[in-house]
Amino acid sequence: MRRLLALLTMVGAAMLLLEVSPGTAKGDPSPAAQASADQNLAIIVNQTNTIDDITLKELRTVFLGERSHWPNGRRITLVMMDPGVPERKAILRDICRMNETEFSRHFLQGLFTGEVFVSPKTLSSPTGVRKFVFNVPGAIGYVRASDVDGTVKVIRINGHGVDDPEYPLRFEARDSK
Amino acid sequence: MSEASHNAKASRSAFQRLLQAASSQIARHSSSLLLFMVFCVVIAVGMFMIGDLHTATDQAQRMYAGSVQGLRQIGELQYEAQETRRSTLYALTTNDSNLQVEYADQSRKADGLVTEGIAQYLAGAHIPREMELGQRLQRDWAAYLKVRDEVLASILEGSTKEAVDMDLTGGVPSFDRVRQDLEEVKRLYDEQASEQLKAVGLSSRRSVLRLVGVLCFTLLFAIASVWVIQRSKMLSALKLAKMQMDFVASVSHELRTPLAVICASAQNIADGVVDEKEKLAKYGSVIGHHSRQLTELVNQILLFASTHEGRHRYALRPLQASAIIESVLTNTRELAEEAGFTVEKSIESNLPPVMGDFSAICQCLQNLVLNAVKYGGSHPSIAIRAFRGGENVPYGEEVRISVEDHGIGIDGSELQQIFEPFYRSPVVKAAQIHGTGLGLPLAKSIAEAMGGRISVVSKVGVGSRFTLHLPASQVVGAENAAERVAQL
Repeated sequence: MRRLLALLTMVGAAMLLLEVSPGTAKGDPSPAAQASADQNLAIIVNQTNTIDDITLKELRTVFLGERSHWPNGRRITLVMMDPGVPERKAILRDICRMNETEFSRHFLQGLFTGEVFVSPKTLSSPTGVRKFVFNVPGAIGYVRASDVDGTVKVIRINGHGVDDPEYPLRFEARDSK
Repeated sequence: MSEASHNAKASRSAFQRLLQAASSQIARHSSSLLLFMVFCVVIAVGMFMIGDLHTATDQAQRMYAGSVQGLRQIGELQYEAQETRRSTLYALTTNDSNLQVEYADQSRKADGLVTEGIAQYLAGAHIPREMELGQRLQRDWAAYLKVRDEVLASILEGSTKEAVDMDLTGGVPSFDRVRQDLEEVKRLYDEQASEQLKAVGLSSRRSVLRLVGVLCFTLLFAIASVWVIQRSKMLSALKLAKMQMDFVASVSHELRTPLAVICASAQNIADGVVDEKEKLAKYGSVIGHHSRQLTELVNQILLFASTHEGRHRYALRPLQASAIIESVLTNTRELAEEAGFTVEKSIESNLPPVMGDFSAICQCLQNLVLNAVKYGGSHPSIAIRAFRGGENVPYGEEVRISVEDHGIGIDGSELQQIFEPFYRSPVVKAAQIHGTGLGLPLAKSIAEAMGGRISVVSKVGVGSRFTLHLPASQVVGAENAAERVAQL
């Protein structure tokens, strides 16, 4: 029994050693970090949009419909994915800090009181979101980082790009459950 | 210097002989040549017709392919332009953002095809009007797309009223301009296609006219050629018939004279008019002489007939020119003396032997000597010379034996004809000089059978010199040392 415990301890130690690799240095993301970047959520806008960086706070006002126009004067159009989609869950949790019911209620109430200027457009696929953003100059949406292509522009959040470890929007595995 | 001059003269002489041979061959094969020319002309005309038809077909195919391609291009442009607008308008009919995005996507795909089609049209534009039209279409299409993008954005944003207003104020007029441009492109294409059709029709008519012209020419040429061939053959047949008639008359005359003498002599003997031994001997001699003359004549005719039909065989062997000349002079001495001719003989020393049939060559040379006596005129002298010929002959060294007289001579225009069978010059006919017209053709046939030839130089009133050219035996002998049998 002791021998078995000792063997298991050695195997565990070897696995820990393998986890530590030179790729963990700053600027050279490890496969784990790369996998993490793939799970980040990219905030995308139209290529003509002049905005490059946005704070998480500003992003919250945008996603809650409390801000109506971009600095260039274009009207903001919010694009969301269907309820229940992991990406939407992550946005509601990390940006809006609401659940689905609270989010719906917020928009119903806001539209009624006039505090919210426009209701979000709902699309069923990341491709649809991307194409919508491509077609509408004032649109803003989100897709997984791996779904981004050259037709749209990815903006930084709090100065962090989607590949940065400090990037605040993370699409976690449990969201997809 | 003299050697160079001799060489130049020999070259000229060889060239003249070549020319004569060529013209003789051409004259002999004129019908075949004419037929060959007709064949060549027909082939050339056929090739021309095939080429012309090919060009016309190619042109028509190009026009057809161009028409189909152009029509398809314009049709596609019109369809895709409509599709661009139709998809945009479909997006207006729904509130489902997913569908709206799909329609927007369809509209963008269609507009990409239109943009590409316009670029292709511009790339293929050749005339200024096409380029101007293409550039205008490109501008108008870009203007419409700008409005379309705004309309699509408004639709997707959910501002349907704004999108409709924008489309009515900007989209409809700009799309109408595009439609007009496309109609103008189509009209221009129709004009170009009708011009091309007209050009093809014109080319086709020209082609038909050319073909008719060429066929007429070929037909006329063929008719003319056949007429010439027929006429030539008819004239040849007439000439031959006339010569044969002349020959029969001449032979009859030649036969009748000795026969008359023989008959008269025989009758006198039979009637007992001649009873003295000396007179009998004289009569016998006369009968014998004329009988030999008859035999000679008949032999000559038979010899000519056999050589002419190509069934005479010669036994060739090396011969000395001196032996030939001696034999000929012996045979003709009596005749020459009777006619009062003196014969001057000159034989170059160390002459190489010649290859030939002795009796045939003697017959050949004898004919030349007899002609010299017959046509010697008022200057009864004959010169026979044997000498070495030049080496610039086709078969190497040769020996020449010339027979020269100072008689009536031959006109230059008759020099070729005198070697034709049965030909007798009008001058000698008028001068009542008897003959068969076979002596020279026979001599020529024999000379050629020996691998040689006969040349003649003559001037009217001055005399003639016939030269028998025979190849030296070492050349021929090297090829065949033993006696060989040549068949004519």
